[in-house]
Amino acid sequence: MQEATFLILTALADGTQHGYGIITEVAQISSDRVKLRAGTLYTALDRLRAEGLVAVDGEEVVEGRLRRYYRLTPEGTKVLADEAARLHENATAALTRLRPGLAGGLA
Amino acid sequence: MSDTAALERGYRRILAWYPRSFRAENEDEVLAVLLATAAEGQTRVSPAEAWDLLRGATRMRLWPVAPRPRSVRAAVRLMLAGAVAELAGLITVLVTSGAVRAAVAARDPAAMHALMVHQVSAMVGCPIAIGLWVWLASANGKGKDWARMLSGACFGVCTLTVLGLLAQHAATHAPADVIAAAVVWAIGLASVVLIFTPAAGRYYRPELARG
Repeated sequence: MQEATFLILTALADGTQHGYGIITEVAQISSDRVKLRAGTLYTALDRLRAEGLVAVDGEEVVEGRLRRYYRLTPEGTKVLADEAARLHENATAALTRLRPGLAGGLA
Repeated sequence: MSDTAALERGYRRILAWYPRSFRAENEDEVLAVLLATAAEGQTRVSPAEAWDLLRGATRMRLWPVAPRPRSVRAAVRLMLAGAVAELAGLITVLVTSGAVRAAVAARDPAAMHALMVHQVSAMVGCPIAIGLWVWLASANGKGKDWARMLSGACFGVCTLTVLGLLAQHAATHAPADVIAAAVVWAIGLASVVLIFTPAAGRYYRPELARG
Protein backbone atom coordinates (compact mmCIF):
# COMPACT_ATOMS: atom_id res chain seq x y z
CA MET A 1 0.00 0.00 0.00
CA GLN A 2 1.33 3.44 -0.92
CA GLU A 3 1.90 5.90 1.87
CA ALA A 4 -0.67 8.37 0.50
CA THR A 5 -3.31 5.63 0.41
CA PHE A 6 -2.46 4.54 3.95
CA LEU A 7 -2.71 8.13 5.21
CA ILE A 8 -6.02 8.76 3.42
CA LEU A 9 -7.52 5.65 5.03
CA THR A 10 -6.07 6.72 8.38
CA ALA A 11 -7.63 10.19 8.00
CA LEU A 12 -11.02 8.49 7.62
CA ALA A 13 -10.47 5.98 10.44
CA ASP A 14 -12.23 8.01 13.15
CA GLY A 15 -15.06 9.50 11.12
CA THR A 16 -16.23 10.99 7.85
CA GLN A 17 -14.23 13.72 6.10
CA HIS A 18 -14.65 15.80 2.97
CA GLY A 19 -11.84 16.16 0.43
CA TYR A 20 -10.25 19.26 1.95
CA GLY A 21 -10.66 17.73 5.41
CA ILE A 22 -8.69 14.65 4.31
CA ILE A 23 -5.85 16.88 3.05
CA THR A 24 -5.60 18.74 6.36
CA GLU A 25 -5.91 15.52 8.39
CA VAL A 26 -3.15 13.84 6.38
CA ALA A 27 -0.89 16.86 6.91
CA GLN A 28 -1.58 16.67 10.64
CA ILE A 29 -1.11 12.90 10.91
CA SER A 30 2.20 13.06 9.07
CA SER A 31 3.38 16.18 10.96
CA ASP A 32 3.22 18.21 7.72
CA ARG A 33 5.58 15.78 5.96
CA VAL A 34 2.94 14.66 3.42
CA LYS A 35 1.03 17.42 1.66
CA LEU A 36 -1.58 15.73 -0.49
CA ARG A 37 -2.56 17.50 -3.65
CA ALA A 38 -6.03 17.34 -5.13
CA GLY A 39 -4.98 15.22 -8.14
CA THR A 40 -3.31 12.60 -5.94
CA LEU A 41 -6.21 12.62 -3.47
CA TYR A 42 -8.97 12.14 -6.03
CA THR A 43 -7.09 9.56 -8.08
CA ALA A 44 -6.65 7.57 -4.87
CA LEU A 45 -10.27 8.11 -3.74
CA ASP A 46 -11.56 7.00 -7.15
CA ARG A 47 -9.62 3.75 -6.80
CA LEU A 48 -10.49 3.22 -3.13
CA ARG A 49 -14.19 3.67 -3.91
CA ALA A 50 -13.96 1.21 -6.80
CA GLU A 51 -12.27 -1.29 -4.47
CA GLY A 52 -15.02 -0.80 -1.89
CA LEU A 53 -12.66 0.44 0.82
CA VAL A 54 -14.13 3.95 0.94
CA ALA A 55 -17.72 5.05 0.34
CA VAL A 56 -19.46 8.39 -0.12
CA ASP A 57 -21.31 9.45 2.99
CA GLY A 58 -23.45 12.35 1.81
CA GLU A 59 -22.75 15.70 0.22
CA GLU A 60 -23.66 19.33 0.67
CA VAL A 61 -23.16 22.64 -1.03
CA VAL A 62 -21.09 25.15 0.94
CA GLU A 63 -20.70 28.67 -0.44
CA GLY A 64 -21.84 27.46 -3.84
CA ARG A 65 -19.22 24.66 -3.92
CA LEU A 66 -19.93 20.94 -3.83
CA ARG A 67 -18.58 19.17 -0.77
CA ARG A 68 -18.73 15.39 -0.61
CA TYR A 69 -18.10 13.35 2.52
CA TYR A 70 -16.24 10.06 2.61
CA ARG A 71 -16.11 7.23 5.14
CA LEU A 72 -14.31 3.91 5.51
CA THR A 73 -16.33 0.81 4.66
CA PRO A 74 -16.03 -2.25 6.96
CA GLU A 75 -13.66 -3.75 4.39
CA GLY A 76 -11.63 -0.52 4.32
CA THR A 77 -11.38 -0.64 8.12
CA LYS A 78 -10.09 -4.20 7.95
CA VAL A 79 -7.55 -3.45 5.21
CA LEU A 80 -6.25 -0.43 7.16
CA ALA A 81 -6.04 -2.45 10.40
CA ASP A 82 -4.12 -5.25 8.65
CA GLU A 83 -1.73 -2.79 6.99
CA ALA A 84 -1.18 -0.89 10.27
CA ALA A 85 -0.43 -4.18 12.08
CA ARG A 86 2.02 -5.16 9.34
CA LEU A 87 3.82 -1.81 9.45
CA HIS A 88 3.89 -1.94 13.24
CA GLU A 89 5.49 -5.39 13.18
CA ASN A 90 8.11 -4.26 10.67
CA ALA A 91 8.87 -1.11 12.63
CA THR A 92 9.16 -3.06 15.87
CA ALA A 93 11.52 -5.53 14.23
CA ALA A 94 13.66 -2.70 12.87
CA LEU A 95 13.85 -0.92 16.23
CA THR A 96 14.59 -4.17 18.03
CA ARG A 97 17.54 -4.85 15.75
CA LEU A 98 18.80 -1.29 15.85
CA ARG A 99 18.71 -0.91 19.60
CA PRO A 100 18.49 -4.27 21.31
CA GLY A 101 18.75 -2.66 24.72
CA LEU A 102 15.64 -0.55 24.21
CA ALA A 103 13.49 -3.14 22.49
CA GLY A 104 11.30 -3.78 25.53
CA GLY A 105 10.51 -0.13 26.01
CA LEU A 106 9.68 0.48 22.37
CA ALA A 107 7.63 -2.58 21.54
CA MET B 1 -13.23 37.82 -7.71
CA SER B 2 -11.78 38.02 -11.22
CA ASP B 3 -8.58 36.43 -9.88
CA THR B 4 -10.54 33.47 -8.60
CA ALA B 5 -12.37 33.21 -11.91
CA ALA B 6 -9.07 33.13 -13.83
CA LEU B 7 -7.65 30.51 -11.48
CA GLU B 8 -10.83 28.45 -11.78
CA ARG B 9 -10.60 28.55 -15.58
CA GLY B 10 -7.01 27.39 -15.36
CA TYR B 11 -7.93 24.47 -13.15
CA ARG B 12 -10.84 23.53 -15.41
CA ARG B 13 -8.57 23.51 -18.46
CA ILE B 14 -6.39 20.87 -16.78
CA LEU B 15 -9.34 18.94 -15.35
CA ALA B 16 -10.56 18.59 -18.96
CA TRP B 17 -7.83 15.93 -19.33
CA TYR B 18 -9.65 13.64 -16.91
CA PRO B 19 -12.04 10.96 -18.20
CA ARG B 20 -15.53 12.27 -18.91
CA SER B 21 -17.22 9.98 -16.37
CA PHE B 22 -14.88 11.15 -13.61
CA ARG B 23 -15.42 14.80 -14.51
CA ALA B 24 -19.18 14.48 -14.62
CA GLU B 25 -19.18 13.24 -11.06
CA ASN B 26 -16.18 14.92 -9.45
CA GLU B 27 -15.07 18.04 -11.32
CA ASP B 28 -16.93 20.55 -9.14
CA GLU B 29 -15.77 18.84 -5.99
CA VAL B 30 -12.10 18.67 -7.08
CA LEU B 31 -12.30 22.31 -8.15
CA ALA B 32 -13.60 23.31 -4.72
CA VAL B 33 -10.66 21.53 -3.07
CA LEU B 34 -8.17 23.09 -5.51
CA LEU B 35 -9.54 26.57 -4.77
CA ALA B 36 -9.51 25.86 -1.04
CA THR B 37 -5.86 24.78 -1.14
CA ALA B 38 -4.73 27.58 -3.47
CA ALA B 39 -2.40 30.19 -2.00
CA GLU B 40 -3.78 33.58 -1.02
CA GLY B 41 -3.95 35.79 -4.13
CA GLN B 42 -2.97 32.95 -6.48
CA THR B 43 -4.15 33.66 -10.03
CA ARG B 44 -2.49 30.89 -12.03
CA VAL B 45 -2.16 27.14 -11.72
CA SER B 46 1.26 26.35 -10.27
CA PRO B 47 3.53 23.89 -12.12
CA ALA B 48 3.38 21.49 -9.15
CA GLU B 49 -0.44 21.53 -9.21
CA ALA B 50 -0.52 21.06 -12.98
CA TRP B 51 1.91 18.14 -12.74
CA ASP B 52 -0.12 16.50 -9.97
CA LEU B 53 -3.40 16.87 -11.86
CA LEU B 54 -1.99 15.68 -15.18
CA ARG B 55 -0.40 12.69 -13.48
CA GLY B 56 -3.79 11.75 -11.99
CA ALA B 57 -5.50 12.18 -15.37
CA THR B 58 -2.87 10.02 -17.10
CA ARG B 59 -3.23 7.31 -14.48
CA MET B 60 -7.02 7.23 -14.82
CA ARG B 61 -6.84 7.10 -18.60
CA LEU B 62 -4.14 4.43 -18.74
CA TRP B 63 -5.91 2.21 -16.19
CA PRO B 64 -9.54 3.10 -16.79
CA VAL B 65 -11.00 -0.12 -15.44
CA ALA B 66 -11.57 -0.07 -11.73
CA PRO B 67 -9.01 -2.27 -9.96
CA ARG B 68 -10.47 -5.56 -8.80
CA PRO B 69 -11.42 -5.94 -5.18
CA ARG B 70 -9.59 -8.67 -3.27
CA SER B 71 -12.48 -11.11 -3.36
CA VAL B 72 -12.66 -10.91 -7.16
CA ARG B 73 -8.88 -11.28 -7.48
CA ALA B 74 -9.06 -14.37 -5.27
CA ALA B 75 -12.01 -15.75 -7.27
CA VAL B 76 -10.10 -15.29 -10.54
CA ARG B 77 -7.11 -17.13 -9.12
CA LEU B 78 -9.39 -19.92 -7.86
CA MET B 79 -11.03 -20.26 -11.28
CA LEU B 80 -7.61 -20.61 -12.89
CA ALA B 81 -6.82 -23.21 -10.21
CA GLY B 82 -10.03 -24.96 -11.29
CA ALA B 83 -8.70 -25.06 -14.86
CA VAL B 84 -5.40 -26.50 -13.60
CA ALA B 85 -7.29 -29.15 -11.58
CA GLU B 86 -9.28 -30.14 -14.68
CA LEU B 87 -6.04 -30.27 -16.68
CA ALA B 88 -4.46 -32.52 -14.05
CA GLY B 89 -7.52 -34.79 -14.26
CA LEU B 90 -7.30 -34.90 -18.05
CA ILE B 91 -3.59 -35.73 -17.98
CA THR B 92 -4.21 -38.47 -15.41
CA VAL B 93 -6.93 -40.02 -17.57
CA LEU B 94 -4.76 -39.82 -20.72
CA VAL B 95 -1.64 -41.23 -19.07
CA THR B 96 -3.42 -44.07 -17.27
CA SER B 97 -6.08 -44.91 -19.87
CA GLY B 98 -4.16 -47.88 -21.36
CA ALA B 99 -3.21 -49.41 -18.02
CA VAL B 100 -6.72 -48.93 -16.57
CA ARG B 101 -8.30 -50.49 -19.66
CA ALA B 102 -5.98 -53.49 -19.46
CA ALA B 103 -6.73 -53.94 -15.75
CA VAL B 104 -10.49 -53.70 -16.26
CA ALA B 105 -10.36 -56.06 -19.25
CA ALA B 106 -8.51 -58.62 -17.12
CA ARG B 107 -10.73 -58.41 -14.02
CA ASP B 108 -14.17 -57.26 -15.10
CA PRO B 109 -14.73 -57.29 -18.89
CA ALA B 110 -18.40 -56.36 -18.33
CA ALA B 111 -17.32 -52.93 -17.06
CA MET B 112 -15.39 -52.15 -20.25
CA HIS B 113 -18.23 -50.23 -21.85
CA ALA B 114 -18.80 -48.02 -18.80
CA LEU B 115 -15.05 -47.40 -18.61
CA MET B 116 -14.84 -46.36 -22.25
CA VAL B 117 -17.74 -43.96 -21.78
CA HIS B 118 -16.04 -42.52 -18.70
CA GLN B 119 -12.67 -42.07 -20.44
CA VAL B 120 -14.09 -40.57 -23.62
CA SER B 121 -16.34 -38.19 -21.68
CA ALA B 122 -13.31 -37.07 -19.64
CA MET B 123 -11.26 -36.51 -22.81
CA VAL B 124 -14.05 -34.45 -24.36
CA GLY B 125 -15.40 -32.83 -21.20
CA CYS B 126 -12.16 -31.75 -19.55
CA PRO B 127 -10.94 -29.48 -22.38
CA ILE B 128 -14.40 -27.87 -22.49
CA ALA B 129 -14.34 -27.40 -18.72
CA ILE B 130 -10.81 -25.94 -18.88
CA GLY B 131 -11.92 -23.48 -21.54
CA LEU B 132 -14.96 -22.53 -19.48
CA TRP B 133 -12.91 -21.94 -16.30
CA VAL B 134 -10.37 -19.75 -18.13
CA TRP B 135 -13.06 -17.83 -20.01
CA LEU B 136 -15.08 -17.19 -16.84
CA ALA B 137 -11.93 -16.22 -14.90
CA SER B 138 -11.09 -13.64 -17.56
CA ALA B 139 -14.62 -12.24 -17.83
CA ASN B 140 -15.09 -12.11 -14.05
CA GLY B 141 -11.74 -10.35 -13.75
CA LYS B 142 -13.06 -7.68 -16.11
CA GLY B 143 -16.14 -7.23 -13.94
CA LYS B 144 -18.70 -8.57 -16.42
CA ASP B 145 -21.92 -9.08 -14.51
CA TRP B 146 -23.11 -11.76 -16.96
CA ALA B 147 -19.96 -13.77 -16.21
CA ARG B 148 -20.86 -13.70 -12.54
CA MET B 149 -24.36 -15.00 -13.26
CA LEU B 150 -23.01 -17.62 -15.68
CA SER B 151 -20.45 -18.75 -13.07
CA GLY B 152 -23.25 -19.22 -10.57
CA ALA B 153 -25.28 -21.19 -13.12
CA CYS B 154 -22.28 -23.37 -14.06
CA PHE B 155 -21.67 -24.08 -10.40
CA GLY B 156 -25.32 -25.11 -10.02
CA VAL B 157 -25.05 -27.47 -12.99
CA CYS B 158 -21.75 -28.83 -11.64
CA THR B 159 -23.38 -29.48 -8.23
CA LEU B 160 -26.32 -31.33 -9.78
CA THR B 161 -24.00 -33.39 -12.01
CA VAL B 162 -21.78 -34.41 -9.11
CA LEU B 163 -24.79 -35.32 -6.96
CA GLY B 164 -26.36 -37.24 -9.84
CA LEU B 165 -23.17 -39.18 -10.54
CA LEU B 166 -22.67 -40.00 -6.88
CA ALA B 167 -26.25 -41.22 -6.52
CA GLN B 168 -26.16 -43.21 -9.76
CA HIS B 169 -22.94 -45.15 -9.63
CA ALA B 170 -21.69 -44.56 -6.14
CA ALA B 171 -20.25 -48.07 -6.10
CA THR B 172 -18.26 -47.82 -9.33
CA HIS B 173 -16.36 -44.60 -8.63
CA ALA B 174 -12.77 -44.89 -7.51
CA PRO B 175 -11.93 -42.80 -4.42
CA ALA B 176 -9.53 -40.73 -6.52
CA ASP B 177 -12.37 -39.82 -8.90
CA VAL B 178 -14.58 -38.71 -6.02
CA ILE B 179 -11.79 -36.68 -4.44
CA ALA B 180 -10.97 -34.98 -7.77
CA ALA B 181 -14.65 -34.11 -8.32
CA ALA B 182 -14.91 -32.83 -4.73
CA VAL B 183 -11.83 -30.61 -5.18
CA VAL B 184 -13.19 -29.09 -8.39
CA TRP B 185 -16.59 -28.62 -6.78
CA ALA B 186 -15.05 -26.94 -3.69
CA ILE B 187 -13.05 -24.57 -5.93
CA GLY B 188 -16.30 -23.72 -7.73
CA LEU B 189 -18.11 -23.11 -4.45
CA ALA B 190 -15.36 -20.86 -3.08
CA SER B 191 -15.11 -18.78 -6.26
CA VAL B 192 -18.88 -18.34 -6.50
CA VAL B 193 -19.06 -17.23 -2.85
CA LEU B 194 -16.26 -14.71 -3.49
CA ILE B 195 -17.86 -13.12 -6.55
CA PHE B 196 -21.14 -12.65 -4.70
CA THR B 197 -19.68 -10.74 -1.72
CA PRO B 198 -20.87 -7.13 -1.29
CA ALA B 199 -17.44 -5.71 -2.23
CA ALA B 200 -17.44 -7.79 -5.41
CA GLY B 201 -20.99 -6.60 -6.13
CA ARG B 202 -19.79 -2.99 -6.17
CA TYR B 203 -17.12 -3.99 -8.69
CA TYR B 204 -19.56 -5.73 -11.01
CA ARG B 205 -22.18 -3.01 -10.64
CA PRO B 206 -20.34 0.25 -9.93
CA GLU B 207 -23.50 2.27 -10.54
CA LEU B 208 -24.86 0.87 -7.27
CA ALA B 209 -21.69 1.75 -5.37
CA ARG B 210 -21.61 5.32 -6.62
CA GLY B 211 -25.29 6.05 -6.28
